[in-house]
Amino acid sequence: MDRNQIAKWFKEPSKMANKYSLHAIYFCTGCGIIEVPPVITARWDAERFGVIPVATPRQANLFLITGYVSVKTLKAIIRTYEQMYEPKYTVAFGSCPINGGMYWDSYNTIKHLDKYIPIDGWIAGCMPRPEAIFVAVTHLWTLIDKGMANGYERYRKYYRAYRRNQELALGKLEWPPLYPIGEHTEGGECD
Amino acid sequence: MIEQLKRELEATFKGVSVTSEADRRITVVVDPLQALAILRFFKDRGFSHLALLSAVDLIDKHAFELVYILTSYAEDTGEDAVPGELILVVKSMIPRDKPTFKSVISIYPNAEPYEREIHELFGIHFDGHPRLTPLFLERQYPIPPFRKDFDTRRYVEDVFGSIPAIGDEEG
Repeated sequence: MDRNQIAKWFKEPSKMANKYSLHAIYFCTGCGIIEVPPVITARWDAERFGVIPVATPRQANLFLITGYVSVKTLKAIIRTYEQMYEPKYTVAFGSCPINGGMYWDSYNTIKHLDKYIPIDGWIAGCMPRPEAIFVAVTHLWTLIDKGMANGYERYRKYYRAYRRNQELALGKLEWPPLYPIGEHTEGGECD
Repeated sequence: MIEQLKRELEATFKGVSVTSEADRRITVVVDPLQALAILRFFKDRGFSHLALLSAVDLIDKHAFELVYILTSYAEDTGEDAVPGELILVVKSMIPRDKPTFKSVISIYPNAEPYEREIHELFGIHFDGHPRLTPLFLERQYPIPPFRKDFDTRRYVEDVFGSIPAIGDEEG
């Protein structure tokens, strides 16, 4: 730990703790699975940066989506994201979640992932080097410091629009809304 | 071995063209009416394994081509055993406006998921298949998406391009 940061630790201890213990859940869709094992093991040892992989989304606060997102995978991504506790940060890895990448005219691949869940950071490349994950993590620290990694707050604020987009892509969703969305709830469920 | 198989085949069935463009590969082009009988013929000759069943959309010829790739295991020994490295390709054309074919599950049971996949992606109906239910796809498509006249670019623009970005409006 840097001695210069002691003042920050006293000022905002929870933010600093979040920053340096990013428990990551890797959603290894597609080719990003190749980059992730060297990152979390001895070659590039992600734990130097406080990033460790965890078993379930309930223990995680960093969500890495590494690769293209098919329509079927989007359903699993949304459910995983909604199970994570706040504060939660999302990083999309590779060019496919950004705009479809090489699957830009595929009939079955989601093009812009940020229309369905909020994304805090993007790593461009096809595929990016493993070092890019650490660039993203250090950049995410800066964003957390400045309060700009606020994807989960945007998700709560614009939940109705996110839910509408999810329904446009997936049809009727099988799970209830995470936050109350007003007009669509029926039978007095809304609080 | 190849020569013997070719002679037997031409003696049994009429109008079958047998070619061999590589050492270990035989291509047999058959009429759809004869296809099941020929597949059964090959199964009896030791080709016990259906390695792949796929379809090709030949839109210029107004036809679908079904491709059955058969191999045999080396340990199939017997009088009529074929060496394990022999690959047999059976091709059959069906008309594009009436895409119906007989299911080969009774001969090769592992054709079940292949036929479901082809039914979903090409819209070819297989008579006698127990459940032609959706296998992979989540969405409804105007026509089966692997057909050549499916315009993926326009579909992407219509469906994914029409979903608005978040933050333009209040939630």
